[in-house]
Amino acid sequence: MSTPARRRLMRDFKRLQEDPPTGVSGAPTDNNIMIWNAVIFGPHDTPFEDGTFKLTIEFTEEYPNKPPTVRFVSKVFHPNVYADGGICLDILQNRWSPTYDVSAILTSIQSLLSDPNPNSPANSTAAQLYKENRREYEKRVKACVEQSFID
Amino acid sequence: MENENRDEMIIKQQREIEREICEAIPLVSQLNEIGSLNDEYENDEVYINKIKDLQTKYRYMRRTRPDGNCFFRAFAFAYLEYLGKNTHDYISFRSLAQESKEKLIKLGFPQFTLEDFHDTFMEVVKKFDPAEISLDKDMTEELSLTFNEQGYSDYVVVYLRLLTSGKLQEEADFYQHFIEGNFTIEEFRHQEVEPMYKESDHIHIIALCSALDVCVRVEYMDRGDGGKIKAHDFPEGKEPKVFLLYRPGHYDILYPNK
Repeated sequence: MSTPARRRLMRDFKRLQEDPPTGVSGAPTDNNIMIWNAVIFGPHDTPFEDGTFKLTIEFTEEYPNKPPTVRFVSKVFHPNVYADGGICLDILQNRWSPTYDVSAILTSIQSLLSDPNPNSPANSTAAQLYKENRREYEKRVKACVEQSFID
Repeated sequence: MENENRDEMIIKQQREIEREICEAIPLVSQLNEIGSLNDEYENDEVYINKIKDLQTKYRYMRRTRPDGNCFFRAFAFAYLEYLGKNTHDYISFRSLAQESKEKLIKLGFPQFTLEDFHDTFMEVVKKFDPAEISLDKDMTEELSLTFNEQGYSDYVVVYLRLLTSGKLQEEADFYQHFIEGNFTIEEFRHQEVEPMYKESDHIHIIALCSALDVCVRVEYMDRGDGGKIKAHDFPEGKEPKVFLLYRPGHYDILYPNK
């Protein structure tokens, strides 16, 4: 059945294929357009470089009026990523705009990897290390980058 | 505890509350007599007197769902109802709406997603062309159907929010003075205007009316003294085409006595 959410997701998918942003990719799962798999490549010149981080994106029929639920499947050590992979990012919560599409969501998460916001921590250890012991922070991040090759 | 995913817990709870409201109240109701307001304010002298005062000017109202979008939804319904009976204003509105897409893209809105909302918005606007509608009754029924279909109704609200946001950006120097707290116009647009379900304040009304070149009269009904409701026109000095009732936190549609 075609609904506004499904029609819009088809458009999002078409756009992502025709005009893919650098370093991210995503596609609906085989039998359900409401659940997508995505990959974000760790941005260059950050400790996340070379990592390939998998995510799932779950939409509801209220998309694009409400944001989807986005979650890392790969283990990610980052001040704004919860232990369960959930992401603390304003545009996925109170600053969501219906003008964002999947492409915008993925590129925003990619920038979050480069620029964490340690003041609203989802992982307090990562936030503290990021502020106080950058070397140890980078070491822990690199460990999850290596883990991402195996996943 | 700190590392629990609290955001998702809060969102889940909010969604449950929203679902309860959805089940109780349609997006836009049928016509109700103004007197039906009395049921909500039994033994409440202040409101009962104000409802009497409201009845001297208005006969009917339509309730809208209190989901934070009520101003935009009420405005769109009432204005399209007016335009459907006024060919001249309809034609100028339609061309303004048609051209607004390019204007928003120039202001930096993402073309790809904007088009989706604009297409649906224009589809709705074209349904209420006075040249296509023969009977008032048909139009009102069609409006009710359209505005109670969540897909259409919400897309219309989104597009009005984007027009409002665009106006705030275009005249940022002016609107900056009306913003309370430490928000920049940019932050305000992204946090209080573009997201669905965010309530509207005077600034939203002023910006939307200015973007669409239309005047809205809002009748304020609250606990204030005097027994009279107070009307405020946005902007002042023009003839209002849309009439809304404001009670703290909520807007409904009003129909003046003929």
